[in-house]
Amino acid sequence: MEIPYIFTPRKDTGMCNSKIAIWLFLASEVMLFGGFFSSYVYLRLGADYPWPERALPVMPGLINTFVLIFSSVTVVFAWVSLKLRKWGMFQIYMAITVLCAAIFMGLKAIEYNVKFHHQAVRLSDYTILEGHLDHIEGITDKKGHEVEADVIHVKVNKLTFSTVRFHKPWVEEMIRQAEVNKATITLGSPLKIEGQEVPSGTALTVSLLNQIKKNHLASRSNNAEVRTEALRDAWVTEKAKVGNEGKQGWQMASNVNIDMDAIAGQLKVETSSIVFQVTPPTELWFPQRDIKEGATQSKLRDDTVIDGEMLESPVAFHNLDAIDFRYVVMKAEEKGIDPEKAIENTWLIKNNEEAREAWEWNKEQMVILQEELTKGYGLDKNGKPNREPTLTERYRIGWQDFAAKAEKVNKGHEAFNMKEQFMGPNYEHRAPAHTFPHLHIPRELVFLSGKFTPAWNTYYAIYFTMTFLHGLHVIGGAIVLSYYLFRGKKMYQTNPEWLANRVEVGGLFWHFVDLVWIFLFPILYLM
Amino acid sequence: MSAHAATADHSSHDHHDDHGHHHEPGFWSKYVFSTDHKMIGIQYGITAMLFLLFGFYLMMVMRWSIAYPHEPLPGWMDWVFTDNWKARWLQDGKVTGDTYNMFGAMHGTIMVFLGVVPLGFGAFGNYVTPLQIGAVDMAFPKLNMLSYWVYLLGGLIMIGSFFMESGSAKSGWTNYSPLAGFADGQIVNQWLAGQTQWLIGLVCLITSSLLGSVNFVTTIINLRARGMTWMRLPFFVWAMLVTGFLLLLAFPPLEAAGIMQLVDRVFHSSFFLPSGLFTKSDGLVQISGGGSPLLFQHLFWFLGHPEVYVLLLPAFACVAEIIPANTRRPMWGYKSMVYGVIVLGFLSFVVWAHHMYMTGMGPAISTWFQITTVLISIPSVVLLTALMISLWGGSIRFTPPMIWACAFIPMFGIGGLTGLPLAFNLADLHLHDTYYVIGHFHYVVAPGILFAFFGGVHHWYPKITGRYMSKTLNHLHFWPTLICMNTLFFPMLTQGMAGFHRRWYNGGDAYLAKALDSANVFGTTVREHIDLNILMSRSAWIMALFQIPFIVNLILSYVRGKKVESDNPWNATTLEWATPTPPGHGNFTFDVAVYRGPYEYSQPDSDKDYTPQWEKPKTDAPVIAEPAPVAHH
Amino acid sequence: MADSVEHIKKTARLYLLIGAVLFIFTGVTVAVAKIPMLDVGKHGFDTMDMILGLAIASFKASLVGYIFMHLNHEKKAIYWIFFGAIMFFGFMIFLFMFAKYDPIHFNGFQLGIPN
Repeated sequence: MEIPYIFTPRKDTGMCNSKIAIWLFLASEVMLFGGFFSSYVYLRLGADYPWPERALPVMPGLINTFVLIFSSVTVVFAWVSLKLRKWGMFQIYMAITVLCAAIFMGLKAIEYNVKFHHQAVRLSDYTILEGHLDHIEGITDKKGHEVEADVIHVKVNKLTFSTVRFHKPWVEEMIRQAEVNKATITLGSPLKIEGQEVPSGTALTVSLLNQIKKNHLASRSNNAEVRTEALRDAWVTEKAKVGNEGKQGWQMASNVNIDMDAIAGQLKVETSSIVFQVTPPTELWFPQRDIKEGATQSKLRDDTVIDGEMLESPVAFHNLDAIDFRYVVMKAEEKGIDPEKAIENTWLIKNNEEAREAWEWNKEQMVILQEELTKGYGLDKNGKPNREPTLTERYRIGWQDFAAKAEKVNKGHEAFNMKEQFMGPNYEHRAPAHTFPHLHIPRELVFLSGKFTPAWNTYYAIYFTMTFLHGLHVIGGAIVLSYYLFRGKKMYQTNPEWLANRVEVGGLFWHFVDLVWIFLFPILYLM
Repeated sequence: MSAHAATADHSSHDHHDDHGHHHEPGFWSKYVFSTDHKMIGIQYGITAMLFLLFGFYLMMVMRWSIAYPHEPLPGWMDWVFTDNWKARWLQDGKVTGDTYNMFGAMHGTIMVFLGVVPLGFGAFGNYVTPLQIGAVDMAFPKLNMLSYWVYLLGGLIMIGSFFMESGSAKSGWTNYSPLAGFADGQIVNQWLAGQTQWLIGLVCLITSSLLGSVNFVTTIINLRARGMTWMRLPFFVWAMLVTGFLLLLAFPPLEAAGIMQLVDRVFHSSFFLPSGLFTKSDGLVQISGGGSPLLFQHLFWFLGHPEVYVLLLPAFACVAEIIPANTRRPMWGYKSMVYGVIVLGFLSFVVWAHHMYMTGMGPAISTWFQITTVLISIPSVVLLTALMISLWGGSIRFTPPMIWACAFIPMFGIGGLTGLPLAFNLADLHLHDTYYVIGHFHYVVAPGILFAFFGGVHHWYPKITGRYMSKTLNHLHFWPTLICMNTLFFPMLTQGMAGFHRRWYNGGDAYLAKALDSANVFGTTVREHIDLNILMSRSAWIMALFQIPFIVNLILSYVRGKKVESDNPWNATTLEWATPTPPGHGNFTFDVAVYRGPYEYSQPDSDKDYTPQWEKPKTDAPVIAEPAPVAHH
Repeated sequence: MADSVEHIKKTARLYLLIGAVLFIFTGVTVAVAKIPMLDVGKHGFDTMDMILGLAIASFKASLVGYIFMHLNHEKKAIYWIFFGAIMFFGFMIFLFMFAKYDPIHFNGFQLGIPN
């Protein structure tokens, strides 16, 4: 059996199978990316926070655009070489294409990595702060690294685990931390498991919790069985009593009850939660995302209840490299308050000397910028300047601005090298000039804190999702093209047209990946 | 694609004589990892039917909770539960709200994504399409196999979520955010939460149908036999072509939405979660916010509405094959059906937000969607009417498939007509999310689409196995099913108009307490309507019982059924009946060429009452050697 | 498409040219976004910048589509498939926006969003 038209076009349609298939596939890709582009527009127009326009460093994206366009050219030439029956040239062009894919993904990885290590904090008064965190001295995670200053410290005296829900790695982490602090976590009150007494004071281990869980599930199953049977019996009795009155279930339900006294003997003790004492009460830390903190009682996401006083858990910036008041301004305008006044009233400006200095500096810079703009573009007929500083220029003090301030040049006139354009500020190099402020933020002021990940805002969410998906396409395309490069010899020897056909189809996909990036680059980097 | 294929410029038909050279494939490659479209079709069919059974079971449990919310689940239903599940998901043996939500969400998902679509498109489409166009196989057999396995993987992931600590997804089959963004939030490792696995399963299923639809469309465009021009394609193939395009273009936006919701759940982003979200357990939720729940609904229903036609068109396809073969007359209005199905496919992309009238859409946009929705009923009615008129003046043979097809027409008609009030904004405001909606679309899907598929199974079973299915068992299956379908779904329509909400897990206890004797427009009371629950639930269980004859029939006929007398037992005209029974690998044993349209029954110039597509014309008219160049597309 | 050797040799030059044009327009799109002198519309990012950016991107994309992907001499069926998809994408984004900008207004209705 032979499938026809694998590489010879069918006469009446003029196409071979793979050609039709790849275009159908691309059509569906149009709809897939179309879904994302539509979402981008929808989210951007509907954003109730200042959309971070032109937020990403352009240089990596620009280089990647060049790399991808270049690879698009080389893949066409790989196909041309095959058509001209030049196997050697094909190999060279295809190798360059695959290499371009590798460069693209490498740059992408660097870009991602910078964001994953860059901290952002939103205060409850809508001030947004960016930078790099301090490490807390003396507190290490299980790998021995010092923990970043964005954790919740609690002086724990009691832990109540949910028997079915406890998360094993978290329990292990608590045991480890208690050990480091020379404290013990022990069972609060004695307990019977499968007839055996577990005395109070038994040390917390995961296997103990597992035993308790197993025991609990067994009694729970038993009790459910007993209660179900009892309820069934109660219904039978009630129905017999009512007889043929034509009553429906909802009319009888109030009279049907489980006779708890009768089944009391058959029920076993359930332990849905289990209490452990921490002696002496000791300080444990928890990643802020896992915990819902309270002054005297906190709760972990796996339903573990932590009793104990919450200690000071500030977010501490080692290098604060951006202060962003745009959200403050937006909220102030919604309420009809003067934005500048709202900014002066923020916790940051009131409590931090360096921040206030930077804000004053930025205001001065705005005057200078306005003068420049007026000089360049003049006034309109109402005597208002034709061009004004943007919202971003007025209310965001970025790391470039901190650098300019330290270098004592005007905003927008600072100097960077290539590495800084890629990776953000070079902190060590800029440290002697005291470029970036140091800042401690009390926990109660923090509304949201995290790295520049999808969780930070919907812009980063759609940025990561779209570029990651695009990256997957690059990888997929590169795999297919490398297959032709390394395994194409046999196809070529059998029939050069066969391979040419395949390369054309693979190339079509590759061009499409390029085509998507042509749109991704401006909407994510330049708009 | 062997080496020698590369050297010759060949067409589809000069390779059939080398059948003998192929050595028999082993068990695994023949039955499990088969690349033969027929075997893949059968795999799809069996898997989909098993999923349908499971979905049916979930529904039976839900119906218990609706009819007898205060009584423990009876033993014949709860034996599937382990002891641990009984304790976790039932309260004193009664179905809890959580469990009901779980089963409801999974019932919808399984029936739509794992049952009906794979059965219609995957099973019937795979088996019949290449045969009807005279192709040796699908254009990409390996892709076809991959499509099945990815589907199975997606299905198993979804079913597997029942075994997770969180239980399965529980936010309805529509999976609306923000609810779906938070359900199972207590599970620390989100990859192990049922709600997340639903999304992973969904992405697998979409990938599978994407592979399938690329394959189908390519096959239909490029692998048609000589002389099989576009207007000679059986309606079945046309329906599959349009279904293929719907899957191809409507599914990806949902894939995008699924991926975004996955990111929301696993990486805590806020695509679909608005600012200032407040939940009962968490208070003000610590997320960035700024997203839009409506965006999810748009993306979902952009798929969701074409999806309805993905379910429906294969059913129409089956019925369109059964009716001409059993009325012994040409199909009425073949061309209008073809154009109708194309228009239907096109319009189905621009009607979606009639599912969203309640989301605060303004008058302009809802007018748009009302107009398009009413417009789309025109091609649907064209299709149904053409089928109905095809019965007129025919000499109808009430064979088992024909019985199902005959029942399909009125049952689907009820489903379609009850949809009209929902197309109008004003009526929909009252009926939205009530049992009326449930009744409407179940009339479309259960006695509509599934009846057509039962007919299809009976129609093609003789080709697949070489034996007929039993008539007696079919009657034992058909009549009780027909009656139960109506006693199950018709009361839903009136219940819905009386204001019964579709997501009440206890069938409306609280509503009853509020409005025990208040009469509605029919002069009936809530009390009378709540008692309908019992009738409906019993119908559902009785219907389950009467599916047993079908299962027995399906298995027993394979060994005991009456053998077919010829390769063309129904004396039908389309190409699948020109193959040996069952068709071997490569399908046809002769050089396939097509000389006429698909439904030439009772032609005056013929001595038989059917003229197959592959029969050479008697006249001396020149035989069409090559298909005419295709200008229209 | 015409597959003769001469034709392909001729088109090879075209491919180089298109590659160069794409490079140049990538530069242009960054330049109009970054260099204040070339800024169209108001100072900073605004609708004009968006239109210009998307116009350049669409131009580049159509060059890739027409020349590199051979849409300039492709079969009609492929046009239908590809532009059909683009049309449905158009419907999608148009109706999304339509729905977004045509909400029902409640007078005095306030969302209870805590600040």
